[in-house]
Amino acid sequence: MRLTTRAPWRRALVNWGGAAALGLSIALPATAEDAPAVGLPFEEQVQVCGACHGNDGNSQQAGTPSLAGQPELTIVNQMIYFRERLRQNEVMTPQARGLPDAEIQALAAYYHEQPVAAPEGGPDPELKARGQQLAAQQRCASCHQSDYRGREQMPRLAGQREDYLIAAMIAYRDRTRGGPDTTMIDVMRGIDDDDIDAMAHFFTYLHAEE
Amino acid sequence: MPMLKHPLASAIALTLGAGLALGLATSAIADDHEPAWAQGRSSDMADSPLAPHATPLTVTAVEDIPIDHIRLPDGFSAEIWAHGMPGARMMARGDDGTLFIGTRGIGRVYAVLDNDDGEDREHVIIAEGLTQPNGVAFKDGSLYVAAINRIFRYDDIESHLANGDVPEPEELTDAFGLPDDEHHGWKFLAFGPDGRLYVPVGAPCNGCDVDEDTHATIHSFEPDGSDMRVEARGVRNSVGFDFHPETDELWFTNNAQDWLGEHGPQDTLNRLVESGDHYGFPFCHGHGIADPERGDQGSCNDIVMPAAMLGAHSAPLGMRFYTGEMFPEEYQNAMFIARRGSWNRTLSVGYDIQVAHISDDGERAAISPFIVGLLDPRENDFAGRPVDVLQMPDGALLVADEYNGAIYRISYETPDYVEE
Repeated sequence: MRLTTRAPWRRALVNWGGAAALGLSIALPATAEDAPAVGLPFEEQVQVCGACHGNDGNSQQAGTPSLAGQPELTIVNQMIYFRERLRQNEVMTPQARGLPDAEIQALAAYYHEQPVAAPEGGPDPELKARGQQLAAQQRCASCHQSDYRGREQMPRLAGQREDYLIAAMIAYRDRTRGGPDTTMIDVMRGIDDDDIDAMAHFFTYLHAEE
Repeated sequence: MPMLKHPLASAIALTLGAGLALGLATSAIADDHEPAWAQGRSSDMADSPLAPHATPLTVTAVEDIPIDHIRLPDGFSAEIWAHGMPGARMMARGDDGTLFIGTRGIGRVYAVLDNDDGEDREHVIIAEGLTQPNGVAFKDGSLYVAAINRIFRYDDIESHLANGDVPEPEELTDAFGLPDDEHHGWKFLAFGPDGRLYVPVGAPCNGCDVDEDTHATIHSFEPDGSDMRVEARGVRNSVGFDFHPETDELWFTNNAQDWLGEHGPQDTLNRLVESGDHYGFPFCHGHGIADPERGDQGSCNDIVMPAAMLGAHSAPLGMRFYTGEMFPEEYQNAMFIARRGSWNRTLSVGYDIQVAHISDDGERAAISPFIVGLLDPRENDFAGRPVDVLQMPDGALLVADEYNGAIYRISYETPDYVEE
């Protein structure tokens, strides 16, 4: 790899892909655009993520998803959508900018291994039963697995925060959540708020004692 | 959203809208609550595990690239020519030797710099944040990029790259006026021998009625987007074509409808006989099979039959004629066809490069394997997905592997046992 004689690339648009592929490090300063976690050791990166998502990946913050137990590819793909600005989110798009593939993959592997904590409170049995019925009608399990633990790019739903699941499903339905994978936009078309509430409740309290 | 102070900020801002607009651009044709790829799936197949294979968005380490899986006819060999470009799809070569590469999901356009000094080639990302910028074409110093549904032209791209920057693109989206459907909305791009830019527009569905002048077509335009012509109709989804080196005829691959059966209808190789001809979609498929829903007895009467069958669900994409001097004589004016590989059948096919030899009357072609080994039929699993081919000036053939973000170089040396 030659790095000597070339003019400096405008890094905001143009990244040195070849170097990343070889695992070489190029001594370029992090630009103002890069995420706060860029260049930090892994333990400190986990603290950056953990400030919102919880240190063990179980989020205690309203509207912020838990990462614990998520399939690795789910986290990797969403982080890359944020990084590449294919998915716009006020918080996460800046947090992902400039993070190399390998660091995203390491974080994803860490959160995948974290145990999923029990949700706060208990289920409303009636709402949960209705949610179960709706999820079966919608065939959610055909991608998210029969126990809703997710698979590859398809996220874990079991035990996820209820407020986050509601917000995510509404965002897909209302087409305010971008990203290259449009599967959920099609799946959620025309589903009403009450049904979304019931499905979210079912997924959150899937393994909870009734 | 971060403040953008960069001189190319406007170019970035141009692309920012793409992800947001994506939902609005989605056509409402899909069955209620079914994702686009499942449209047309019968109720008795509702629990089928068949679904498209996700393309990795991350770099494949060079030691994991399956170059050793590749099998070729005697005398041919394969090497890794460039790598580290997740989602690498369609290729176009600049006059000064830069290789431009489009992608789909990751939204980038790559440029591999022509600086071979025996070490790894460098590449740069020249555009990002676009919605499926699959199509790339090069003419008169300019790179053309086709995303959904936007067309960009980067003038003097190679001299800019030599100076270490990327020119601000000219956006030609309004001039081309292409539909904004996400489904089959990704474009192949190529200039014809007539100097026009050829642009396919896929059907916005698996199977549906379409306006035969706007969808399931191959259009051509003047390079500025003016003077649109419909060159071919009833083409469900072509993602690869080239022009015969002697007759200038347009030959193209076409992806047939899913969920009609494990073994059919077949994907096809086609020849454009007369501008405006009809190739059957949505009422006639493959080699003359009436659609069970939209077709009837006469549905296949007035359509052009394929020049060759390429296997059901095999996903033939990029294809080019070979005119180089490196390969043996039998490859002259033959076509190399990249088959990305199937998802909508339980026994996988494709994941290879086929070679097509044209019949003496110039109307049909015979298909034969050229690169195999990326599909393991015993495990019914695959290690790579070829999506495009490109002939180099020395006659070597480049192959883009989307799954591994790598470009392979295929070269030929006469085997020892052949008398020259």
